[in-house]
Amino acid sequence: MPVVRAPLAWRRGARRGADAMAALAAGRRIKHDLRAGIGGAGVASAAGGLRALLDVDAVGLAGLDGPPVWSGPPAPDADELVERVRERDARAARDGVVALPVHVHDGLAGVLVIDGDLAGGAAREAAAWVGEALERAQLEASAEVAAQAELRALRAEISPHFVYNSLTTIASFVESDPERARDLMLEFAAYTRHGLARHGDYTTVAGEFAAIEAYLALARAVHGEKLRVQVRIAPEILPVAVPYLVLQPLVENAVRHGVEATGREGLVQVAGEAQGSECVITVEDDGPGMDPGYAAEVLAGRGRPGHLGLVNVDRRLRSVFGPGYGLIVETAPHAGTRVVLRLPRFQPGVVVG
Amino acid sequence: MRVLAVDDVGPALDELRRLLCAAPGVEEVETAPDALAAVRLLQAARFDAVFLDIAMPGMDGMELAALFTRMTEPPAIVFVTAFDEHAAAAYQVGAVDYLLKPISAERLAAALDRIRRFAAPDPTTSRPPVDALAAVPIELGGRTRFVRRDDVRFVEAQGDYVRLHTPEGSHLLRIPISRLEGHWADAGFLRVHRGFLLAVARVRELRSDIGGGLLAHTDVGDVPVSRRHARELRERLLDAATKGVFE
Repeated sequence: MPVVRAPLAWRRGARRGADAMAALAAGRRIKHDLRAGIGGAGVASAAGGLRALLDVDAVGLAGLDGPPVWSGPPAPDADELVERVRERDARAARDGVVALPVHVHDGLAGVLVIDGDLAGGAAREAAAWVGEALERAQLEASAEVAAQAELRALRAEISPHFVYNSLTTIASFVESDPERARDLMLEFAAYTRHGLARHGDYTTVAGEFAAIEAYLALARAVHGEKLRVQVRIAPEILPVAVPYLVLQPLVENAVRHGVEATGREGLVQVAGEAQGSECVITVEDDGPGMDPGYAAEVLAGRGRPGHLGLVNVDRRLRSVFGPGYGLIVETAPHAGTRVVLRLPRFQPGVVVG
Repeated sequence: MRVLAVDDVGPALDELRRLLCAAPGVEEVETAPDALAAVRLLQAARFDAVFLDIAMPGMDGMELAALFTRMTEPPAIVFVTAFDEHAAAAYQVGAVDYLLKPISAERLAAALDRIRRFAAPDPTTSRPPVDALAAVPIELGGRTRFVRRDDVRFVEAQGDYVRLHTPEGSHLLRIPISRLEGHWADAGFLRVHRGFLLAVARVRELRSDIGGGLLAHTDVGDVPVSRRHARELRERLLDAATKGVFE
């Protein structure tokens, strides 16, 4: 990432202390103004900041077409200078007005026009600094887009394994117990409706619990009496926003470890409650557990294939709520497995779609 | 109740008719495979309610519903659809309820309840003043004392009596549970079971053992929630939590 240097020495007479601080603060404000690029809403404010910082009569900032946005009286004939810079990608000057190319990633991105008495080196430095600020803004914007795209790509999918198990089970009841087959079909519909929902990126804890209850009803039909399930939820966490399908992979994991892997009877417990400003959800099975070292490997993405559900959930939570909100896995051989998920109860910017 | 069911998908229409015929209080069910057939039936006879699929070729359910609004005595409209994306538009044309396919018998029963409530005469005229029973008199050892409604966590039916469960103990009161429900429904009490009336804001936890039952846990005991009322309780809890009732 390019380093954005603060324009410490530009301002004539700038020394240590207060002046330097003011210059740094001004530099930061200009960088902030340029966040949306040279055609963005902050460009007039950036030109004003540069004008104050450089202590000149006027500063204009132009993109690759159109006239510059000015702070101070527009310099006469400046448009012509700007055109020359755009054509030749080189400095142009006349009568104390200087126009310089602004480069982003080595390509011409705009033109900086300065009207006023200024050392030639300072003008070049200012143009380079604007270019770097723009470059950084671009990187930040693309990082944000990439994070969004990653979140979408990580969005959990309905497990095919589970879909076919459910359908097979439902098919088996169609003749022997049509009423039961019908009920299970409804659970299946509720479950897939949640999994296929594409209204937004987030649902509520209430929606996730409804989906896992449908899932568990089907899982219980698949495994019969071997699977025992308890779900407890405190009503105050029902409206908390969560990414779609963060709970279900954890529950599916618990069913897999606790019952499918052992073949004996197993208990899966899911509980959600509020703890201060956080919502804490635990998913627990009394299966064989695992070596904690292996659990750490799984969370790091180095587990066996088929354990990717946990990693996926972990990454999505971190990406949405920050690095402090990953999964916690408590386990030991012969001690079952407990996965703890913490969510902030109120997260600005996370809105249920 | 006379009901018309409209859906262009044959099996879906058969299923809807079967469920409606099995529902208590529904006397007659007619079916129509498209909007045109539905309009003909509606011209020939009066219906109390129309269950309407949204996605149909030709005139769709939404357009058909918009026509109803011009009738002098329009039937109650319940939309039946595969997706929930139309819900907002459905309520705009005055739908009483919105069912997702496939439909469960419980959910259908709840929709029929809503239709009856909408059809009933304005309850505010027949109902006693809202706070008529904000406190109820209890006979205890020959003395009368009052139990505040706000202290009641849940109400349990016991024949012609109800038992009011509060943190200070439980008290018998001579009133049928359905009548108390009428008085207390606006004060946040919900019938969650044939024999139980629950103060929604007093629920500490919902507990379910999948395949078994659903329980609403309060600080003075657990209340069974029947399948038929589970959905409404969940909705009411979500609504209450969104309003910060549990904070």
